[in-house]
Amino acid sequence: MAKSTPFDNYSVVPGTWDEMYHQGKVRQPYQGVYDFLRQIPLEDLNKKEELAKRLFMSQGITFTVYSSGEGIEKIFPFDIIPRIITASEWDFVERGIKQRLQALNLFLKDVYHDQFIIKDGIVPVELIYSCPHYLREMQNVNVPFDIYVHIAGIDLIRDQDGTFYILEDNLRTPSGVSYMIENREITKRIFPDLIPQNNVRSVTQYPNILHKNLVSLSPRQVANPTVVLLTPGMYNSAYFEHTTLARLMGVELVEGRDLVVDNHRVFMKTTVGLQQVDVIYRRVDDHYLDPLVFNPDSALGVSGILSAYRKGNVAIVNAIGNGVADDKAIYVYVPEMIRYYLNEEPLLKNVPTYQLGNPDEQNHVMKNIANMVIKKTNESGGYGMLMGHMASDREIEEYKTEILKDPRQFIAQPVISLSSAPCYINGKAQPRRLDLRPFALCGPQGIEIVPGGLTRVALKEGSLVVNSSQGGGSKDTWVLSD
Amino acid sequence: MLSRVADSLYWMSRYMERSDGILRMLKINYASSQDDRNEFTWRPVLKIFSFLEDEEITKLEKDTRAVLQYMLLDKENSNSVFNMVTKSRENARSVQDHITKEVWQCLNEFYHIVRDEKLAKSIQFEDPITVLDKLIKQGLLYYGTAEITMARGEGMCFMSIGKYLERAIQSADILDVKFSDLSYDLEKTTDTTYWKYFLLSISGYELYLKNYRSGFEARNILDQIIFNINFPRSVQYSVSQLQRYFERLKSERNLQSFEKINFMIGKLKAGIQFSNVEMISEEGLHPYLKRVHEDLYKVGHLLNQHYFAYS
Repeated sequence: MAKSTPFDNYSVVPGTWDEMYHQGKVRQPYQGVYDFLRQIPLEDLNKKEELAKRLFMSQGITFTVYSSGEGIEKIFPFDIIPRIITASEWDFVERGIKQRLQALNLFLKDVYHDQFIIKDGIVPVELIYSCPHYLREMQNVNVPFDIYVHIAGIDLIRDQDGTFYILEDNLRTPSGVSYMIENREITKRIFPDLIPQNNVRSVTQYPNILHKNLVSLSPRQVANPTVVLLTPGMYNSAYFEHTTLARLMGVELVEGRDLVVDNHRVFMKTTVGLQQVDVIYRRVDDHYLDPLVFNPDSALGVSGILSAYRKGNVAIVNAIGNGVADDKAIYVYVPEMIRYYLNEEPLLKNVPTYQLGNPDEQNHVMKNIANMVIKKTNESGGYGMLMGHMASDREIEEYKTEILKDPRQFIAQPVISLSSAPCYINGKAQPRRLDLRPFALCGPQGIEIVPGGLTRVALKEGSLVVNSSQGGGSKDTWVLSD
Repeated sequence: MLSRVADSLYWMSRYMERSDGILRMLKINYASSQDDRNEFTWRPVLKIFSFLEDEEITKLEKDTRAVLQYMLLDKENSNSVFNMVTKSRENARSVQDHITKEVWQCLNEFYHIVRDEKLAKSIQFEDPITVLDKLIKQGLLYYGTAEITMARGEGMCFMSIGKYLERAIQSADILDVKFSDLSYDLEKTTDTTYWKYFLLSISGYELYLKNYRSGFEARNILDQIIFNINFPRSVQYSVSQLQRYFERLKSERNLQSFEKINFMIGKLKAGIQFSNVEMISEEGLHPYLKRVHEDLYKVGHLLNQHYFAYS
């Protein structure tokens, strides 16, 4: 009898694009990984899975969950089978994201200055002003090089025929890039030699590119500008990422309490007195950034930082007020923005989206609610979502009432059958749904996207929600070179 | 360097030094407890390293397993090794960009070791020495990793300052408690095992045997633990190291603060350097140790005020 392999009895969910299998055969880019995994005895694979967990734990690649006054370290679940993207797929995705990001940057510049796009009737004015992330405080503020989005984590999904769609533009403080870097390091440890054998492109240059961009934004023309990474602190679930990035870039990791504003300049408190800060890569949300202007209860921000920013004495990354561009109601207009600002056809498609603020569309959605995903326009992380095909009648009724209170705050999208890939679960490969979040960096020299990204998988069987807060995990993401 | 970062590095290091001191003390006292059950008491250890009231100590002092449990793992005991390691690691966690990845991983592993549920069981039902050795080794791994991987910059200075300040305080306090048992009488003769286990607990036994041929005498013990500059746990050695690392922080930008603390450390060091066992015996051991203890705390307080204040 042939020895068993993880891929025995692997069956693709009907009507789904599987990343590894096509019509019962392994797709060519996956052949190397497939053969490699098949020749490893199952018990060794289990050991490798254990090793991966141990490495995450001992390296502190964890987030802390606080319950009953005690912190418990959790790891973001990692699946050992890599997700592969071919060179030609990547080329398309890369061009598509660059195009989109270019348009989104132009949109932000426009919306906070002349508002041509509103005057020309492309985007309705009430949509902008009703967005809680549109900040009047940013009106007519000039930002260095007119770049608003320096770091974008745009989420892509694939439908049943493998077409890529944009699911969300994350333009505020997207996270997950440390997992792009660390997942790769773990794969190197558990599967020696596998990466070089498969011509996988490296992701290690990400921190260097980001650092180069940050330095170039310094308002002061000094040889060695002070760049800092502003974190909400170690109780934040992404704290590990903040420390990793600070370490890999060699910049200071600061908290709000480390900074002080004097005469419209930002300083950090050091052992030898105050030192001026030039560039802040902040991982604190807009509304917590400056208690004098935004949420007055915020202890995470710095009083007066907005005034320093408006005077141009400090650069803040990403710019303040970007939320107006990744609002889910504005999302509908991004293809139009691309046509309007760039005079190009969008390369990457949007998922068809209905705005519940529009009576006709609302009507359509309500009739077909069983086939719809309904989301709040200003929530992220998979919170406040209704999956029509999974919800009970009562949940649907309750959600409907919720929608009717303020339809502007909701959008609906048809349920998309996300592509699947094999995940090693309980000793065998099982299909699970996934998405892709590449990280695009925008600097004065243009947009660069490190070949790779974060692949999130819905580890629950049959689930279509990949968010880590909803039981999602991640995979190492390989982009192959030609 | 950020004041907050300096503060965290300093405390990360102080907590590790304290947990090392506690672990050694526990190991040797445990060995001693196996030697002579009737004579032995945990009272001195509890007095030095816990904040228990006298009557609570009386309840605990003969119950070896309970003391080990309390000193190693009790979450309510702010000086338990569990809490020391947790705090050290929390400090490390908030300054990961200032320590090497190796140091961070070492402390993170230590943290996972003290949280392991099997540990509590081993302490209760198995050989405690095995457990203590494992913990001591992880501590040594931290010292070695820090020594080999950390850049010799400001951060390392604050770590060293924390380490040697903590060590000097410990040595002075340990002497104080040990001699209070003898009512600070330097002439009083005691059982040789009393001093033997004491010296073993601070890794000073071999050195003592090499230097003093006449058996165990209180004066010689004092001489070694306060004055011997070659003994890494002596007060004199620790204060010299403290001064050495503090001097490296000298900068034109905060000269006033520097001078103030430097003066304090220099005065303390000179006070020890230009005294001897005879003079201590005239002044009285307790007042002498109390003065040293207070001066060390003053240094800690000044550091806090001039280097770490960030809020």
